[in-house]
Formats: sequence, structure tokens, C-alpha cells
Amino acid sequence: MATLRVEIDIFSGRPNPVIELTGSDASALVDRLGKTRRLEKGEPGLPPVPTLGYRGLIVSQVGAATRKLPRSFRLAHDTIAEDGVLRAVADESVERVVLESKAFRDAPLDRDFKKLLLREIQRFREIRLRWPWRPPKVKFPPVVLRCRCAPLYEPAWWNDGGQKQLRNNCYNYGSNYRTDTFHQIPGGSQPGAAAGAMYTSITGPEVRNAAIADGLINNPTANNKCPGEGHLVALVIWPGVDFHWYRKGRTGRWSHKPGSTPVIDVDNSNAVITDPRTADRGGYTQFTTFMTVMHGHVKIK
Amino acid sequence: MRGHCTGTAFVFSGRPDPEWPVPAEARRRLEAVWTALTPAVSGPPPAPPLGYRGSALRCASGDEWLAYAGVVAHTAASGSLDRRSDTERKFERLLLSTAPEGMLPPNLLP
Repeated sequence: MATLRVEIDIFSGRPNPVIELTGSDASALVDRLGKTRRLEKGEPGLPPVPTLGYRGLIVSQVGAATRKLPRSFRLAHDTIAEDGVLRAVADESVERVVLESKAFRDAPLDRDFKKLLLREIQRFREIRLRWPWRPPKVKFPPVVLRCRCAPLYEPAWWNDGGQKQLRNNCYNYGSNYRTDTFHQIPGGSQPGAAAGAMYTSITGPEVRNAAIADGLINNPTANNKCPGEGHLVALVIWPGVDFHWYRKGRTGRWSHKPGSTPVIDVDNSNAVITDPRTADRGGYTQFTTFMTVMHGHVKIK
Repeated sequence: MRGHCTGTAFVFSGRPDPEWPVPAEARRRLEAVWTALTPAVSGPPPAPPLGYRGSALRCASGDEWLAYAGVVAHTAASGSLDRRSDTERKFERLLLSTAPEGMLPPNLLP
């Protein structure tokens, strides 16, 4: 008789419990699943998208397989699914065979797991009966997202007065890439350092090319318009002294993080920044270029 | 101002702010300036986001002085705070003058 490996497909973050049915327990399940038929049109199937909570038992034959069952299939209530084909079994409480097996009783499961599983099996039954779901009859107010791919403006997340704020600079914030290395290691948070191509002087072309080495894309004709993918940043230079970056957020407004200081969305005149080219930038008088940050493409030391 | 002390100018955004060791002789002069200052009635005005935002003297003893726009604030190792008025920015100027030549952008203070 085959050994049946049964994965109880219920969790999202934790690993699913797995038990192995052998001997009479395995035989009992094989017998209960014995005769199947194809599902008729209109009978509730299984939701085509995964739902949270119990989603069925994933049964696999281990070792010598019986021909009475598929090699591997999903079982939920009175339905088994194999390679997208749904079949009905006569007994709609066949999962109880698993719950009453010796392997389930002996498994190192949480004390109340069986009660939870029984509730979940019923809940999943109701989900199947309601399928296909209808969209909720709720009218949401229109949200104007000018830059749908851009990061959120969430100063409270950065401005912790500790590691996130003090160890990340304008380049980290502009790229939305936290390294916690500013002031911590040589080259920390500096354009080009991760690629071994750090700038050698504080000029627009030097810092721009260093950022390109990190994976940013030069976008000099962006003209303050969001890219279709990724988000827009702007490089400005205090000639010979320092560089600075701004980033355009989801609402189309710009924000920045001057060195280790907090993230803000105003310029040196306390005005909202609608275009970094015209913002009060103090000594950072040279606007160099707009650049695009493709999420996941950038690496910063 | 016992032990090793470091000066810092809060000025950059992208690059790390400049830091330098402050020589013993300069520490003695800074201490003399600090001692002569009178209590401040208020804190310094807010600094602009970009550009010079003040300077600091931090010593191995745990003492820290922050100077900006006519106010010097001393935080002792014990955590107590003493804020003094420095309308001529003597402490701040003297501290910045101890930085090695070329380390700081020119004309940080008016």
C-alpha cells in the first residue's frame, strides 16, 4: 500500500503541516476517494485564485503508487483537482479520514489545531459556494496618482532620529534604497561606490556618471514628468562642494533628505517643491539632470 | 574639554559632513570663550534644509557643544543642557577655524 503524504494547505507565513498516512489510514482514504466523476456545469469548483486560510489537502503518493488515485492532487470537501481538472467524490466529508488518522493525532500540531481546521474547512466550503465573487458595492473616491510607480512620501518612516535617519542621506532617500551606511563606512551612501566608480570631483557629470554606474538611468529630457516605470529623481550640485538629490513622489510632489537630517517636502524658503529646477536650493545652484530609478535595478554601497 | 575632541560642520547633504580633530590649544581657547558667554533666553533659529546648519564640538568625555546662529548649547555627559548667547558667533567661528584648510566650503558664516 502506498504512503500518502498529506500537506494541510492552510497557512501563509508558516510552513503548512505535513503528515504521512500509512497502512489502514492510507487505505481508508483511498477507499473513500474510490469512485469519482467529472464536475457538472454549475457545481461549485475551487477558487482559481488562492484564498487565505484553508485551501484543501495536497495529497501525494510516496513510494509504490496505487492506480486508484492520481500521483498528486488537491482534495477539498467532495472535490479533487488534478492538473486543473476537477472531479467529484461521493463522500463530502472525506477530509475527516485524515483528521481521525493516527498520523494526525500523533503529529506535533498546536493543541487546538483540529478545531481550527474543522472551522476552516467549513469556511472554505462557504467561500466555494459564494464563488464567483462579486465586486463590493462600495464607491471609492477617485485618487489622483500622478506618478503611480513612485514611492510614497512617508517621512515618519525615515525620520526616526536613529539609524534610518542618521545613516542614510539624500542619495539613499532619492533612490529609495536604505543602506544605513552613511558616515559608517568609506564610500557609504556615495554615488558609484558600489560599482567601484565613485565620483572623483563634485561636478554634475562626475556624480551623474557615478549614479549611472549604480544603475540609475539618465533622463535629462524628463522635464519634471514621471516615467512610465520607476520614479524620477533630480541631481543638483553645490559646485566643488557637495551634491544633492530630490525624488518625485506618488502625488507628483518632490521631497528630499538633506544629509542626516529629516525627510522634508519643502525647500530652503519653506515652499512646497513642485519642480526642483525652480526650488530654493541654497548653495546647490547647478541643476544637473533628472534621472530614473528602476526599482530593484539600483545598488548603493 | 578634556581628552580628544572632534569638530563637525553640519553642511553637506550627499557627502559626509566634515569632521576634524580639535587641537588642545584650540580647546583651551574655546573653553575660555564658552566660559565668558552669558545665558541665552532662547534657542537658535531653525536652520535651512540645505547648506550650513551649525557646528559641533564633541569630546571623548561625553561633552558636546552645538553652535549655530548666535547660540551655543552645551550638553554635559550627564545629559544636563546649558544654552548661552553668542551674538558675535565667537565660539562658532573659532571652532570652524580649527578645521584644516580646504576642508570646509568658504564663507560658511556671514
